[in-house]
Amino acid sequence: MTTHYLVLSALLFAIGGIGVLVRRNAIVVFMCVELMLNACNLAFVTFARQNGNIDGQVIAFFVMIVAAAEVVIGLAIIVTIFRTRRSASVDDASLLKY
Amino acid sequence: MGETITFWVLAVVSVSAALGLVFSRKAVYCALMLGVVMLSLAVLYAVQDAPFLAAVQIIVYTGAVMMLFLFVLMLVGVDSSDSLVETIRGQRFWAVVAGLAFAALVALGVGNVVFAPAAGLGAVNAAGNVPSLAELIFTRYVFAFEVTSALLITAALGAMVLAHRERLEQKATQRELSRERFVKYGEEGLDPSPLPGPGTYARANAIDMPALLPDGKISKLSVNRYIARYEAEEGTIDPKVAEILEGEDK
Amino acid sequence: MITAPTIEYFALAPLLIIFGAAIIGVLVEAFAPRYLRRAVHVPLTLLSLVGAFALVILQTVRGVPTTPAAMGSVAVDGPTLFIWGTILVLSFVSVLLINDEEQFVPSAAAVPGSAEEEKAITEGAAHTEVYPLALFAIGGMLLFPASNDLLIMFVALEVMSLPLYLLCGLARRRRLLSQEASVKYFLLGAFSSAFFLYGTALLYGFAGTVDLLGIRERLAVGGGGTETLLLVGTAMLGVGLLFKIGAAPFQAWKPDVYQGAPTPITALMASGTLVAAFGAVLRVFWVALGNDSWNWEPIMWGVAALTMVAGSILAITQTDIKRMLAYSSIAHAGFLLVGVMAVGERGQNALALSGLLFYLVTYGITTVGAFAIVTLVRDPGGEAWHLSRWAGLGKRSPKLAGLFAFFLLAFAGIPLTSGFFGKYAVFRSAVALGEAWLTGLVVLAVVASAAAAFFYVRVIVLMFFSDPSADGPTVVTPSWATSTVVGFSAFATVALGVFPQPVLDLAEKAAKSLFVQ
Repeated sequence: MTTHYLVLSALLFAIGGIGVLVRRNAIVVFMCVELMLNACNLAFVTFARQNGNIDGQVIAFFVMIVAAAEVVIGLAIIVTIFRTRRSASVDDASLLKY
Repeated sequence: MGETITFWVLAVVSVSAALGLVFSRKAVYCALMLGVVMLSLAVLYAVQDAPFLAAVQIIVYTGAVMMLFLFVLMLVGVDSSDSLVETIRGQRFWAVVAGLAFAALVALGVGNVVFAPAAGLGAVNAAGNVPSLAELIFTRYVFAFEVTSALLITAALGAMVLAHRERLEQKATQRELSRERFVKYGEEGLDPSPLPGPGTYARANAIDMPALLPDGKISKLSVNRYIARYEAEEGTIDPKVAEILEGEDK
Repeated sequence: MITAPTIEYFALAPLLIIFGAAIIGVLVEAFAPRYLRRAVHVPLTLLSLVGAFALVILQTVRGVPTTPAAMGSVAVDGPTLFIWGTILVLSFVSVLLINDEEQFVPSAAAVPGSAEEEKAITEGAAHTEVYPLALFAIGGMLLFPASNDLLIMFVALEVMSLPLYLLCGLARRRRLLSQEASVKYFLLGAFSSAFFLYGTALLYGFAGTVDLLGIRERLAVGGGGTETLLLVGTAMLGVGLLFKIGAAPFQAWKPDVYQGAPTPITALMASGTLVAAFGAVLRVFWVALGNDSWNWEPIMWGVAALTMVAGSILAITQTDIKRMLAYSSIAHAGFLLVGVMAVGERGQNALALSGLLFYLVTYGITTVGAFAIVTLVRDPGGEAWHLSRWAGLGKRSPKLAGLFAFFLLAFAGIPLTSGFFGKYAVFRSAVALGEAWLTGLVVLAVVASAAAAFFYVRVIVLMFFSDPSADGPTVVTPSWATSTVVGFSAFATVALGVFPQPVLDLAEKAAKSLFVQ
């Protein structure tokens, strides 16, 4: 089964990579990066079972922590740039005012 | 056998969801697709003797990370669908070619590796998955664990820097606001009372339902312009509302 | 029952001081009144850097440990201590630049050009958070080249990068460009760290451990039918690392980010990050994959050749001074990669390592000096970024233009500047290997240096031999901090160009013990 899991992880990683290169919306690009990180985690967990030591699971755990911190920073940066670029048309956001 | 079935079902689900993430135009669909991938992976972790990671995957990724993504999507506008205009000619084509070549390379490379039968985690997990993980985290990887605190502090500090606005002047009090409203009333004749909310006196109470005046007519002030414009485009606008708005927008 | 881990606090003390100071900085942000913050941050940051440097020296004097610290996560060996010292000196001068002028936005949350931003400027608001953020980045830079396993290397990579992503977006002028640089750097950085991670996963699958020494032992054993994992893993790990040093074809982010970021941050990235990333490259490719060098050397050869050629040629077409310096940094990364391939037996490795360490010191110091001068030449709207604005600067303020010309000559590697000996040390070690393919690369590197010298000279000619325009940029009187930075860089560039021996000796001594293996 190890091979199956690894091929799945490689596929997900590649799809994420294509997404990063193809998409234009910064948030979607970032989601694709998250998909790639998830694919890495699948590989770690699979190898942990293959190698019979649990280090892979610990690494996957650390990757999750790092990804969470990265998401905070990334989304903060994206929101900032969005606020700048969109500043001309505020009337479109009037839905939340009511 | 059970694992094989689980794997094939979830493999199909997660790959199609990943493709959906890349190819759906609306950002919200992308986020939901990513959520599907993450949940399927959580199950695959559980199948592979990693119950703790499965739980953390659901709590941290689908619970926190995805929510943050959705939150930001709502903040910046759900409608922001991607433009299909290529900025670099042929870039999309070559990106897909490169991605497929990469996938083929890795999948073939990894697929051809002959693995010994998996060593399995039965012995390691004998004392329980969580205690074994804890032992590694707090001995061998303890320094990495300590250093992640720097990451978390950076994240909190960074979000503060980019999002927090210092108040540079005193907040206006109720009294000042009220005085200002009446000054405006005196100068420009603006109504000092608040706008009527949607749905007042109407049969239903919803954002697209204008308030009625005591004589049963629609209060123009309560019409949500944004929704009205949308409905006018779609052709589903209430004729009475359209009548009220007419002559003004033009 | 878990036995408590042993942590060598003395060996890790420089790291702990930097992280501790950063956390104190965060507390200062939380509790100190606004008018006091800067007055606390600046001495705190500078003192912690000095303290960490003193501890590095103390450790060097007391003898270098030979086993990895902190349960095998961090390797504090000779090269690490040398790199730590270098990074701390470079960070110290960069922090002087950060402190110096109002380079940062008063309020990052305010929309650029809005009334709110103007109000923040007139109120004198400032983001003093940049000091703790910079300290976190410096802490990451220290940990990155010292990591002894791939997990802590990944964490260190992120600790180093996340604050830099943020700091890039905080330039006071040309806000849109700065924010765009921040987004680009972030997205590409996250993309590349995903590659690093997948490479780590494959190497873990190959070796059963992410410990660099463990991977080395597994390689020495060989066999097992999983070499494909090793090959693909090495390639992907390489992508992640080469991205950080800005080697072609992963160099695209560098000009954009260097241009958009506030200039003091650019100086920190161009010097500190490059040194740290090179340390990490050396550790991964020499310690973990040293027994596999015939597999990665051909690809590294191509990358190095492409990097120096791309860096040197694309620099010629640039019109923005910071972009030009970014391309020069790319070309230098290519020259440094030549030394990475000069591995052989022990003596050869020590020779190559000492050359690389010396090159990193000289390049780092010169580049900080060059960026410090960039901050001084101003237009009404900020720094005079367009090269045409620098025309005739030599006639208006000959001292400043002379210093800048001197730094450019050091980049080009003209004799009597530190750049010459840096290049000489690296190329000598590559030739000493006596392999035709590497000697050929050295020849290419010398040709590329000559091409690069062409555009440096072009800027010098522009500064000295064309007439200044009437509304040309003004040269502000430098504050004591900027003068110190420029003076220190100029002094070091001259001193290392005339008497390189003391630092070369130091680098050789550091390199002699090689990495912990």
